[in-house]
Amino acid sequence: MQQALSQLPPLLAAHLQLAAAALLAGALVAFPLGVWATRRPRLLAPVLLLASVIQTVPGLALLAVMVPLLVWVAALAAPLGVEVRAIGFLPAFLALTLYSLLPMLRNTVAGIRGVDPAVREAARGVGMTDRQQLFRVELPLALPTLVAGLRTATVWTVGMATLSTPVGAPSLGNLIFAGLQTRDTASVLVGCGAAAALALVLDGLVRAVEVGLTRRRRSITVAASVALLLLLAAALLPIGRRGEAGAGAQQPVTFGAKPFTEQLILAELMAAQVQEKTGEPTRILPALGSTVAWDALRAGTLDAYVDYTGTLWATVLKRTDQLDRDALLRELSAELARRWRVEVVGPLGFENTYALAMTEKRAAELGVRRIFDLTPHASRMEVGGDYELFGRPEWRAIRSTYGLRFAAERAMDPSLMYQAVAAGEVDLIGAYSTDGRIAALRLRLLEDDRHVIPPYDAVLLARPRLRTDRPRVWAALRELVGRIDQPTMQRLNLAVDEQHRPPGEVARSFLRSGSR
Amino acid sequence: MNPLLELVAVGREQGGRELVADLSLSVEEGELLVLVGASGSGKTTTLKMINRLVEPTSGEVRIGGRRHDEEPAHLLRRRIGYVFQQVGLFPHLTVAENVAVTPALLGWPRERMRARVDELLALVQLEPRRFRERLPAELSGGEQQRVGIARALAAEPPLVLLDEPFGALDPLTREALQEAFRELQRRLGFTAVFVTHDVVEAVLLADRIAVLRAGRLLQVGTASELRQSPADPDVEALMATPQRQAEALAAKLGAS
Repeated sequence: MQQALSQLPPLLAAHLQLAAAALLAGALVAFPLGVWATRRPRLLAPVLLLASVIQTVPGLALLAVMVPLLVWVAALAAPLGVEVRAIGFLPAFLALTLYSLLPMLRNTVAGIRGVDPAVREAARGVGMTDRQQLFRVELPLALPTLVAGLRTATVWTVGMATLSTPVGAPSLGNLIFAGLQTRDTASVLVGCGAAAALALVLDGLVRAVEVGLTRRRRSITVAASVALLLLLAAALLPIGRRGEAGAGAQQPVTFGAKPFTEQLILAELMAAQVQEKTGEPTRILPALGSTVAWDALRAGTLDAYVDYTGTLWATVLKRTDQLDRDALLRELSAELARRWRVEVVGPLGFENTYALAMTEKRAAELGVRRIFDLTPHASRMEVGGDYELFGRPEWRAIRSTYGLRFAAERAMDPSLMYQAVAAGEVDLIGAYSTDGRIAALRLRLLEDDRHVIPPYDAVLLARPRLRTDRPRVWAALRELVGRIDQPTMQRLNLAVDEQHRPPGEVARSFLRSGSR
Repeated sequence: MNPLLELVAVGREQGGRELVADLSLSVEEGELLVLVGASGSGKTTTLKMINRLVEPTSGEVRIGGRRHDEEPAHLLRRRIGYVFQQVGLFPHLTVAENVAVTPALLGWPRERMRARVDELLALVQLEPRRFRERLPAELSGGEQQRVGIARALAAEPPLVLLDEPFGALDPLTREALQEAFRELQRRLGFTAVFVTHDVVEAVLLADRIAVLRAGRLLQVGTASELRQSPADPDVEALMATPQRQAEALAAKLGAS
C-alpha cells in the first residue's frame, strides 16, 4: 500500500494529462464534425457508423494496433527528419482520442437535430445568417446534450486510459497491471480507486460548468472552470518525476517489461545496474504487450529489454525449423542485427520455457522423470495449462512426438494452475520453467528427452546503435550476461509472487548480493 | 398611393406540384391584407415567399419597388417582421432578449434596444418590469404570442407578415389580441399581410381580403365587395359563413 501510494502522484498526473489531452483533441474533432454532419444529411450516417465501428474495437486492441501503425509512420517520417515515437504518449493519445469521439459526435448530432423546427424557422425569420442560427440558437439549445456527451466521453476516457500502460504510456494502469501480475491487491485497489475518483471529479466539474452556463450563474461557471484549469495545470507540473532533476539533457535510459513478474524484475534489475554503474537516469515502461516491446525496441523508444529466443524465432523471424540452443542463438543474433540492427547483448543464463510439471510425490509414485515416462499413464491424466498452451505448436509437437493422449486438457489462468496441480485438481500442468512456485510447491519438471520444446533462453536485447551512442550503458548491461541461472530466477520470482516483495527491491538486493 | 408590396405572377413548384401558381397581388402602404383559404390553399407558402423563407420558382416579388432577391435573404428578413403560428420564441432567451433579437442583429446600441423593448412590451400590454427577465416557458400562450408580436415589430419594419398568429389561442385571448393588434397596426401604420383560415377573423381585421384556393387567387377586395359581388361560388359560400353562423348562434342562444 505504502509503495503504491508513493507512486500515485506522478502516475495520477500522467493519467490526467493523457486523458485531458485526448478529450480536448476528441472534442475539437467531434463537435465541429457533428455540426458539419447535421448540415450534410448524406454524410451523417457514414460518419456515425465510422465512430461506432471504432467504438466496437476492444480498447486494448485499439491501443495496441496504434503501435505498429506508428512504427510504419515513423519509418515514413524519418527521411523528412521528423521523429515519431511509436510507444508512449502518442499511441495512447491517438487511441483515446478516437475512442472519445463517438459519444460527443452522437450527442452533437442528437442535440442539434433535437432543436424544435419552429424555433429554427423563427431564427431564419428574424434574419439570422446560418452561422448566427448555429451559434445563437442551435448550439445554446443543444448545449445540455453536448455536455452530456462530453461527460460520457470523460468517464470513458479516464477509464480507458488505464489501458495505456501496455503501449508504454504511464498511467494509473501501471499500478493495476503491476498489482495484478505480482498479486499485490493494494496496488490494484489504489490504481482503480484513483481512476474512479478522477473520473468522478472531472465529470462533476464539467457538470458544474454546464449548470453555470444554463442557469446563467457566472460564479458557478467561473469557479468550476478555474477548478478544471487548476487540475490540468497541476497535472503539467513535474510532481516527483523520477530522474528528472540534475541529469542534464540526457534522456533517461528506458527499459521495457512485458506483463509478467519475471519481466518486471529483470527491467528493475537492468535499471538498477545501469544506475549504479553509470549514474544515468533510468525509466521503466511496464506491462508492454509482447509485440509492442519488440516494436518499441527496433524503433529506438526502448533502449533494452529481455526477450526469449524461442519467441523471437517464431514471432519475429517467423521461423519454424528447429535448431539446437547455441545454433539458434547464433542465427538469431545474426538475423536481428542484419535486418533491424537490434543487438543481442547476450543470454542471461536461464531459460523460461513451457515445461510439464507434476508434484514430486506423484512423480515418484509413478516413476516419472521424463515426458516419455508419461506414456502408460496419460490416458488417465488431466492436464492444465494457460490460455494459449493447447493451441501452440509446442503442444502439438509434444502430443505427436511422445504419442500422448490425455483424458482432459483444461485451460485456466496461469496464476491458478500451480495451486491446481499441487491440490491434485489436475495431474500435470504446462508450467513456466522459471516460476518460483515450482520449487515452493515441490513440483518436478519433466525432462523433454526428445527436445520437442524449442529453447527459450532469456536474452538481453539492445536497440540499434546503443553500443556506440551510450557505451557505458552497454558495458553495464553486458555485465549481467550469464549472471542468472534457473534456480536464481525462480527464487527472484518467488520473492515477488509469494512473499509479495516489490520487484525493484528484489532486483537491488540481488545485485548487492551478487557483486561480492 | 404606392404599393409597398407587389407580387407579380408568383409561383412555387415543389416535387412536380404547384403549391402556388401565377399569383399577383399588391398591398398599399399601411394596408392590412388578409389571405384566407382552406388548408393547402397556398396561403402560408405565399406569405413565406414574401420574405424568402420559401423561394418563389417563378414570378417576382417587389418590396418598396425593388426586387426582394437583390440582397441577401437574411438582410431582407431583418426589415420584415414575422409572427409565427407556433410563436417560435427562443426558449433559452429572456423575453427582453427575444424581443431585441432583430435589433441586436442590426447592431443597435444597447440603450436604444433596452428602451425599444420596454416600449414594445408596453404596446403589447405586458408590463416591462414584470416580464423583461422571464423565460418563454414561464408565460401563458397568449403572453407568448404578445411577445412574438413585439419581436416582429422590434426593428420598426415597414412590413409585417403574420401566419395564423392567433390560431392556437382560446377565444377570449384571441379576441383580445385581435383588437390589440388592429389598434397597434393603425397607430404605428405598418403594412401587414395576415394569414388565417378563420373568415370571421379576416372580416374583423382586414382592409382587404384575398381568397385563395388550391394555390390560386380567386378574388381580392374588401369584405363587403366580396360579400356583395363574389366572383366564384366558393367565395360566396365562404363569405356567407360568418353571417350564417351568427344567425344559427342567435337562434340557439335565443331559444335557450
